[in-house]
Amino acid sequence: MSTLVYIEIDSISKRYKKATVESLSDVSFSMNVGQTIGVLGPNGAGKTTLISILCGLIEPTKGSVLYSQENGNPISGVDLKKIIGFVPQEYAFYHELTPVQNMNYFGSLYNLSKDEIKEKTNSLLSILGLAHVANKKINTFSGGMKRKVNLAIGLIHNPSVLFLDEPTVGVDVQSKLSIIAFLKGLKDQGTTIIYTSHHLSEAEDFCDEILLISKGEIVANGPTKKLIEENKSSDLQSLFIKMTEAE
Amino acid sequence: MKLMASIKKEILLLFSDKVGLSIMFLMPLLLVFIITIIQDSVYKMVNENKVSLIISNQDKGVEGDKLIQLLAASGLFELHEKNELQSQELKDYLLDENQLTALYIPLNFSEKLEEKATQISTTLAFELGISETEQNVPEVALPNLDFYHDPVLQENYSFSITNVIGSFLNVVENELMIESIYAEVGIEKSPDNFKEKIMGNKVVINRIPAKNDEHMINPNSTQHNVPAWTIFAMFFMVVSLGSNIVKERVNGSFLRLKTMPTNYIHILSAKMMVYMMVAVLQFTLIFSIGMTVFPLIGLPKLVLPSAFAAFIVMMLMCSMSAVSYAMMIGALSKTQEQSNGIGAISIIIFAALGGIWVPTFVMPEYLQIISNFSPMHWCLEGFYILFLKGGSWSQLFPVIGFLFIFIAVCQFTSYTKLKLEKLI
Repeated sequence: MSTLVYIEIDSISKRYKKATVESLSDVSFSMNVGQTIGVLGPNGAGKTTLISILCGLIEPTKGSVLYSQENGNPISGVDLKKIIGFVPQEYAFYHELTPVQNMNYFGSLYNLSKDEIKEKTNSLLSILGLAHVANKKINTFSGGMKRKVNLAIGLIHNPSVLFLDEPTVGVDVQSKLSIIAFLKGLKDQGTTIIYTSHHLSEAEDFCDEILLISKGEIVANGPTKKLIEENKSSDLQSLFIKMTEAE
Repeated sequence: MKLMASIKKEILLLFSDKVGLSIMFLMPLLLVFIITIIQDSVYKMVNENKVSLIISNQDKGVEGDKLIQLLAASGLFELHEKNELQSQELKDYLLDENQLTALYIPLNFSEKLEEKATQISTTLAFELGISETEQNVPEVALPNLDFYHDPVLQENYSFSITNVIGSFLNVVENELMIESIYAEVGIEKSPDNFKEKIMGNKVVINRIPAKNDEHMINPNSTQHNVPAWTIFAMFFMVVSLGSNIVKERVNGSFLRLKTMPTNYIHILSAKMMVYMMVAVLQFTLIFSIGMTVFPLIGLPKLVLPSAFAAFIVMMLMCSMSAVSYAMMIGALSKTQEQSNGIGAISIIIFAALGGIWVPTFVMPEYLQIISNFSPMHWCLEGFYILFLKGGSWSQLFPVIGFLFIFIAVCQFTSYTKLKLEKLI
């Protein structure tokens, strides 16, 4: 597997067909491996569009996204797909099947062996507290349990880069804490995480850096504490209000 | 491995869809049993069973009895004489007793027939110069027979019965006419052999079903219903496969798959393969029942066509048409409700237009033209060619050609829609 060290986003813009304004406008930033970036912004700011471009779901209207290895060689196509994990906001799996059946299916698409899938499934479901329902149909699960299954599927192949689109939306406090604790574990293991959320305190606690977007443009970008201090804000929430209102 | 995993996933999803499975397997089985039994009863009623006919004969002469004897001797009717009933009472009796047909022979039936025969024979004798003076015979009105029938009886069926009675009435009238002509020329009794020659010398109409294979069995309810309802059932997979695709589109599974090192061809091929297997299973199940269970319950046995390779090709073309249509509905619908609603209603319309319920030849001309746009019409036409006409490959080409175009259009539409949504 290719070893990712660097992601460079260079002046990407996105205008959807029939849209009068750009959903993303001239967005540039870069990431080193192991970093955790929180992409924050009000509804409709362009967070999901940015994540969709970064993980190859849609093409930018202009600009480029470059994933590269330590030796500078770019990573793209199937090689790139093998190292990224995507956890969408929707419960993107098969509710009529069990967590194990879902993991078997998605794991097979990464060409993992049966043993690898079994080992990873047991480990993930156990860490996420789903071992006792591993063979129950998901359509009987609570929202929090479904979020965890969604997350587990995105991690079945040990991705180097993980895209999380609102991973804790609509779940209770206990589930949220458990998911964040799990994500912190991943971060400690060196996984690069790009994460969107509306929970600012959660982002402040979890992310190394934040990327604040409003109306498709970056309004703040940098280490969380540094940005709060520079903008003379008490916390991330007041910084968020200040920066998005200014726009 | 990816394809196998996708097939396994589709099979698991299919088995979890109990409603979809019921619609695909139980519904057609029930339909094929019920409709075949009903149609077989109608077929037997028309072709094998005797028609129950209540008769009130008020005639004082012999001609009314002659007519009844002819009707009885024909073997077509089961007669019940109710001579105590007058015309109106006979009608009430028919309604009260829930009977289908009744015939009322009036009081002066023989008298009027004889008067008419005398009038014609007198005129004929004068015209032929046998009699020198034309007697002044007054114009005679023929008597009316009242034929009552239950209003639910189909028009063409009651028309057929009156035609049969009319033809026996002709026999009575002709016999009377011959005797009257003989009497006019002074011969007391017409020679029996002459009467027989005239009455019995009828042109025989041979009924021959037009089919290519003379060993083919004649059309019956089984030969029509088993293929027809199997086709209907196959297309009803739109409820299961259509909503399966909508779910994957709407819940983000397709998007997630797009971030993975796999190809949409694996995913769509797996769906097609599994649902093709479902369609073949539907065929096997319903056809097997037609061949083995139907004879046990008194229904005609399903006989497979001799052109077995053509039969297999037709089965696969129909299956692929059903799968492609379901995929297109799944790709075009925004919600599962939309997919189920549009899918089910369109299948019912296709079935109605395609001749699944009533043959297309009884439809108005403009509907017959429209029926060409129903894939079920072509599927059924293919099976008619094989099952009822013993047709050949060359006769199947237009059918296969249309189904091929239909499949191509559905597949292209599905692909384009998923591509536009950037899901593949």
